[in-house]
Amino acid sequence: MNIPLTENCCANEKPASSDSMGRAAGGQTNPSRWDGDQWHSFVKYLVLRGITVHEGRSDSSVFISDAGGLAHGLPHGVVRPFSSEDVSEVLKAAQTYEVPVTVRGGGLTTEGESIGFGGLLLDMSSMNRVLKVDQSEMTVRTEAGIYWHQLAETLRRDGLDYLSAPLNLTSSVGGTLGVGGIDINSPRLGCSADQCLALKVVTPTGDIIECSERDNPGLMDRVLLGYGQFGVITEATLKIRPFTPISMKYFYYSSLRTAMEDLQFIAKEDCADYSGILTIMDRAINLLVAFDTDEREREFFLRWRRHLRGHGEANFGLRMAGYYLLRPWKFREAGYLIGRRVTLFPEFSRPEYMHNNKIVDRTVVFSRAVWKFWGGSKMVIPDLAAPQEKFIEAVERGNEVCRKYFRHYTLYCVGIKLSNMQDRYEMSCIPPGAQDIAFGCEFEPMLRDTNFSRDYLQSFKNEIYDIGVDMGLSYYRFGGMMKGYIRRAFGDELVDKHLALKRKADPAMILNRDVIF
Amino acid sequence: MIGKKKDRKGHEACSGCGVCLLSCPVWHRTQTMSFTRKARAKAMQGGATYEEISHSIDSCLLCGACEVACPEGIGIADLNLYQRQELNRTRTTYPRWYPEKDPETHRNGKGPKSASLLLAGEMLGKDQEVCKTIMEHLGGNGNTVLAHDDGQDIARVMEAGLPVSQERTEGFISLLRRARTLIVVEGWLHYPLRKWLPGKKIIGLGEALLSSAYLRSRIGPEDLYVIESRGYHAGHRRLVLLYDRLRRETGCQTNLDLQRTAFSTGASSLQGRHDLLAAGCIENAKRILKGRRANRIVVEDLADAEAFRLATDIPVIHVGLLGFGKII
Repeated sequence: MNIPLTENCCANEKPASSDSMGRAAGGQTNPSRWDGDQWHSFVKYLVLRGITVHEGRSDSSVFISDAGGLAHGLPHGVVRPFSSEDVSEVLKAAQTYEVPVTVRGGGLTTEGESIGFGGLLLDMSSMNRVLKVDQSEMTVRTEAGIYWHQLAETLRRDGLDYLSAPLNLTSSVGGTLGVGGIDINSPRLGCSADQCLALKVVTPTGDIIECSERDNPGLMDRVLLGYGQFGVITEATLKIRPFTPISMKYFYYSSLRTAMEDLQFIAKEDCADYSGILTIMDRAINLLVAFDTDEREREFFLRWRRHLRGHGEANFGLRMAGYYLLRPWKFREAGYLIGRRVTLFPEFSRPEYMHNNKIVDRTVVFSRAVWKFWGGSKMVIPDLAAPQEKFIEAVERGNEVCRKYFRHYTLYCVGIKLSNMQDRYEMSCIPPGAQDIAFGCEFEPMLRDTNFSRDYLQSFKNEIYDIGVDMGLSYYRFGGMMKGYIRRAFGDELVDKHLALKRKADPAMILNRDVIF
Repeated sequence: MIGKKKDRKGHEACSGCGVCLLSCPVWHRTQTMSFTRKARAKAMQGGATYEEISHSIDSCLLCGACEVACPEGIGIADLNLYQRQELNRTRTTYPRWYPEKDPETHRNGKGPKSASLLLAGEMLGKDQEVCKTIMEHLGGNGNTVLAHDDGQDIARVMEAGLPVSQERTEGFISLLRRARTLIVVEGWLHYPLRKWLPGKKIIGLGEALLSSAYLRSRIGPEDLYVIESRGYHAGHRRLVLLYDRLRRETGCQTNLDLQRTAFSTGASSLQGRHDLLAAGCIENAKRILKGRRANRIVVEDLADAEAFRLATDIPVIHVGLLGFGKII
């Protein structure tokens, strides 16, 4: 291990100044967007109320970036709240002293949304207790800083599970509810936010409010899928279900369009409990389906399999072999395909996660695979969310953009069943005009060790986002560095409406400044 | 030298996914992100010095779970130790739990020729009655011999990131060469022994004892079986399947989390040996018990037994004493 000894170059008295991260990964830093005015008074106020503000660089440096790894910034200080009251005190003080507050759960944003570019960072991961598991109502009440993995650990001890959550172990419940939360069972169960029954929210002015469809439904609708603009979620009541291992099957396509048509068919006919598309390359598309029960699997093969045009692995392998044998100049491409098959697929069937040919703990399996094969110090994942009728065109156009910029990339497509909660979908990842179901696609280049410049990556993202503007779609990630697209995508009227709501709820505009407004 | 391996990825490869902290007993106990492996990597990427993250380096219990969890394949176990070594170069004061004595320099010579050699470690070595019972399980009569030099002093000094003399290391290793299998109770020693003695079969006490069908038959669904975490993580690829079979065969609960890492009490760490309470070992034991319905706790490591005894009224028994009814 060659770890160079470093000078004490970063012991800067102004932790948020740009030169305090002279050696940050990526070589570029984002200067503080706040000059620190009244910081000391703000800290003094909080300390008097028993709240510790961690100002040391060892406390803040872990939050220097997010999963995207392209933006870097340091907060002036970090607070780890242990109750809604702590959060309330912080936000009241922030309003008074006009200190920006960035709320962070798992920090899995990719556009810098969860990075504190100066000001205070609220590290919500300290609020991670499971408060109550109600097996008669099949609900769980939990603090919202908890990671889905921690929640799963607790629920599993009672043979229970959450309904759907991002395939990522360190997504937090609060962060997920704020953006939606898509799983491969979302075509059937909807997004995580739609499985939330009640919330405790601390408003930007520090009021602690319980909300549900019955109590304060307006706040509930603004906070769910609200990108953290209208409050900090501190507790949530979620639906739960009995835990089941899943049986997963793969079908292979050499046409992206055909695979997407079949994905839509599966969602429309409710053929499977889980479904999604994961491309390896344009010529090798993987459509996965999975089942909670043997009955559902049997029904799929009896009733629906014949309608799908995908091949089994052996059949597809033979076809590919034939294709490449006739095109020896493409052996390198074949090598990549074989390499992915050999390295990636065993990850989904590791023996310790398999029982009777079923995957136990699918989130762990998928999350590990995601980070192992698609993770890295930089992650660029622009996406498009489209109504059913526009989905295929959107993905095909996005795929063209990927091909233009990168040699290897992956598309991840999944459906999202919509509820009748149309108010909360306004100005969210759910595309305008979508009825019953929407579809999303992430476009993820395989960056790995290649050092692409930031402008190159930004240009790629912009081209994907331009498709959204052109087609009137939405995006799962539209905050942070992609702020510039918000008005173009949603129009001035809608954005101004939300801006007015935001100004009313957050007079000093302190909460999550770098996300949308 | 362990801690300076160059063929694995280092902190620069950390993407910050945070998967490691889900298995970190220190993070679970303190809720403090800066005490995690992820934080140390991010701080180093940002140009921090070892002194600036010394509290984080010192808080690590070296249980090894983070390395198993890391999807990037970063050599975290080595890295954790390496950072401790580097910190020692410049620090002027040492934590109270640092070992006082330099490793002893005697005991050189030829070790016994046997099928298996048991390196009993500090706690088992002191408990002759338990040790005797375990030796019977392991098949006495010359098949398994108790090592007179179990390398405890080396383990403790190395764990602190302090140097061990070449003479002492070589002397210790020379005693081990003639045995076909080393049964090493001190899980932390598995890492260096595998490097020093490549090809030698090195297993933990739990693995050795669980080869006995009789002992396995004494474990049931009402038991919480606590795997010794350091040895387990050092041989994770192999052992994860062994313990998965144990769980299915006996129905027992274990201290494995959903990532199949063994949640550690930290009782066998230097910090835990110095002060179980201050090191958070009792809290960690309570965390392992939370939500479990166990009538008995079966441990592989006597240090864990002590932590559980202080954490709960549930009887605790060493896996080697199953069938004898002796509660620790």
